[in-house]
Amino acid sequence: MDSEEDDFYSGEAMDDDNDYYNSDDAAADYGVEDDEDDDDGYGFIEEDPDHDDFDNASFRRQQVYFLLNFKNALHFHVLSNSHILWLIGPGVFFLYLVSILTWCLLFQHSYTVLREADIKCQQEDDITKVSTVLSISRVDASILLRHYNWSVSKVHDAWFADEDAVRKSVGFLDKPVVEFSNARELTCGICFDTYSCDKVVSAACGHPFCRACWRGYISATVNDGPGCLMLRCPDPSCCAAVGQDMIDMLASDEDKKKYSRYLLRSYVEDNRKTKWCPAPGCEHAIDFAAGSGNFDVSCLCSYNFCWNCTEEAHRPVDCGTVAKWILKNCAESENMNWILANSKPCPKCKRPIEKNQGCMHMTCSPPCKFEFCWLCLGAWSDHGERTGGFYACNRYETAKQQGDYDETERRREMAKNSLEKYTHYYERWASNQSSRQKALADLHQMQTVHLEKLSDIQCTPESQLKFIIDAWLQIVECRRVLKWTYAYGYYLPEHEHAKRQFFEYLQGEAESGLERLHQCAEKELLQFLNDESQSKEFNDFRTKLAGLTSVTKNYFENLVRALENGLADVDSHAACSKTTNSKYGGGGGASKGKSGRGKGSGKIGGSHDAGR
Amino acid sequence: MQASRARLFKEYKEVQREKSADPDIQLVCDDSNIFKWTALIKGPSETPYEGGVFQLAFAVPEQYPLQPPQVRFLTKIFHPNVHFKTGEICLDILKNAWSPAWTLQSVCRAIIALMAHPEPDSPLNCDSGNLLRSGDIRGFQSMARMYTRLAAMPKKG
Repeated sequence: MDSEEDDFYSGEAMDDDNDYYNSDDAAADYGVEDDEDDDDGYGFIEEDPDHDDFDNASFRRQQVYFLLNFKNALHFHVLSNSHILWLIGPGVFFLYLVSILTWCLLFQHSYTVLREADIKCQQEDDITKVSTVLSISRVDASILLRHYNWSVSKVHDAWFADEDAVRKSVGFLDKPVVEFSNARELTCGICFDTYSCDKVVSAACGHPFCRACWRGYISATVNDGPGCLMLRCPDPSCCAAVGQDMIDMLASDEDKKKYSRYLLRSYVEDNRKTKWCPAPGCEHAIDFAAGSGNFDVSCLCSYNFCWNCTEEAHRPVDCGTVAKWILKNCAESENMNWILANSKPCPKCKRPIEKNQGCMHMTCSPPCKFEFCWLCLGAWSDHGERTGGFYACNRYETAKQQGDYDETERRREMAKNSLEKYTHYYERWASNQSSRQKALADLHQMQTVHLEKLSDIQCTPESQLKFIIDAWLQIVECRRVLKWTYAYGYYLPEHEHAKRQFFEYLQGEAESGLERLHQCAEKELLQFLNDESQSKEFNDFRTKLAGLTSVTKNYFENLVRALENGLADVDSHAACSKTTNSKYGGGGGASKGKSGRGKGSGKIGGSHDAGR
Repeated sequence: MQASRARLFKEYKEVQREKSADPDIQLVCDDSNIFKWTALIKGPSETPYEGGVFQLAFAVPEQYPLQPPQVRFLTKIFHPNVHFKTGEICLDILKNAWSPAWTLQSVCRAIIALMAHPEPDSPLNCDSGNLLRSGDIRGFQSMARMYTRLAAMPKKG
């Protein structure tokens, strides 16, 4: 690996072979499917997790390096996707361009999170820019920028197109409107008292007002809202602008503070490329560069949201669908609230059960002890991999038909279908939502309490327990994606049978993978927390959980991509799966996990990876 | 409070001194409360309000002149920007376009100008606004004139 890396950094590796970087991640990509000959479902991980970290780190370095090269538009023949690094000869230049585009869409961070200091700094920079280019004072530059929604280029365009018109509309005066050169005393235009010349203050226009009246005037407008940023001379016929210099000179400390607060807020709110993070209490803003297809941004406060519609992050579903879905939930939520009251009767003993744990695997309390799936209320034993079955709970069609083969009954069912279809999807959407909330709470609990305890019991430094946090972060993210796939499923056209089938297959696989991960992180970990002393199995657990995390991560990434391109693979997946299968040969520790049902998973990421 | 009282007192003295300066406006301060004023304004010529005398009531807030006074018609008037029942006036300078440099006198002048130039696009009196917007100038004028006669002119006999 070192030598490969050297080649890469030197930028001279023009191998004619399509050499690629084969990390264990790459091999893990398709491990999730394989359970037929591999009961524990994590067989591909046979490497030291530390080594794993190293690979990730170096991969990240490569990404950064690649980005630099890309920006300089060098003809640097290196390709990268999340798992594979290709060195491609000049002969496949076209492929190279296509891949770079894909790569940019998928991996380039097209946004920056701004702290308050950063916002201030950018604002000052913009003001400096305009002030130097137009040779005007910083205060005037600030007024001008505010007027043009903080777009430096718009200010420049407008100014150089017609400077006089801009000056007029913004309120920059060339010379005072009123002259009092020889007056000793002046009358304040607000309180009508007379003052000596040195006691009155005026804006560029020369309309005289005493300091007390200025202070009152500024205070009134500042307390009226952000309109104070467009402050003008108090004289009704005068349009002279009043800038921050006068505020600083005349206003009270409290008003000055409020004014600069509004100025800062204006920079974010009136600017078309920045928005506040919508998380409660968060004071960061996001600066978003247009031109990317992916609107999901992640704030420093760890809140993920869609920059386009500022709802929570909802990949792979588009903003329109999300808006429709949310509206629908509002309209029908009252109905749903009682239909989906938080309890369900145990399918065996009929006692009402409230779900308070994250995963769908429920165990009724003794003496019943019945294990069942929360979603379909079927026995959990039907859900395992050992039966060779799949996690069927997401299958609306099948669920409708299960245990109900009577034709007339089914026809009657059709009438109720509309509401029931919605109920089905909403229920699953909502239960993933609450699972996610629970997972977030668990993650917090883990970080604040359990990790330390576990570290003591297992005699392992906390830094080496990071894999548990990673697992929980992954669960939280997956629950979010899974949740939105139900909105996606609801709006997937009924008549596109192949797509629906494929979608439900993908969703089912994703769901069962996630359940496995969630179960492992939630239940299996418990046993180590209750251990008296160090346990030998802990290392196995580490391998298993880290493996499940990575497998699930890859699976969900592929799922998101498949849904985002509208399941375009449906018609062509047969061809693609061949390509993918042949590509992953020799993946070190991966061979075991990869061998089983590689074909099924090949459908998901197949065409994308093959395309790069 | 003190500032507003001082300012109102200045306006009061100004009104006393220049009583005949503007024959169309007669501003009177309440005998016991300097924050309550009434005004009599003459309907502008060449409008349906010509010949009428309209009474306005001013309620001046303590933050005056930083906040605008509240003004309403006491005399019934048929005008798109005046509420037919309450006499409330929709005029920008009495709301967001207020400037502390305005005086009660200048507010009266602005109201007279509003009477001569109604803004049918932001009506408080929709019937009146609709007549103007649909181009029925004659209908509007006869209604306005009728109410001027009924409410704003001394009863004959």
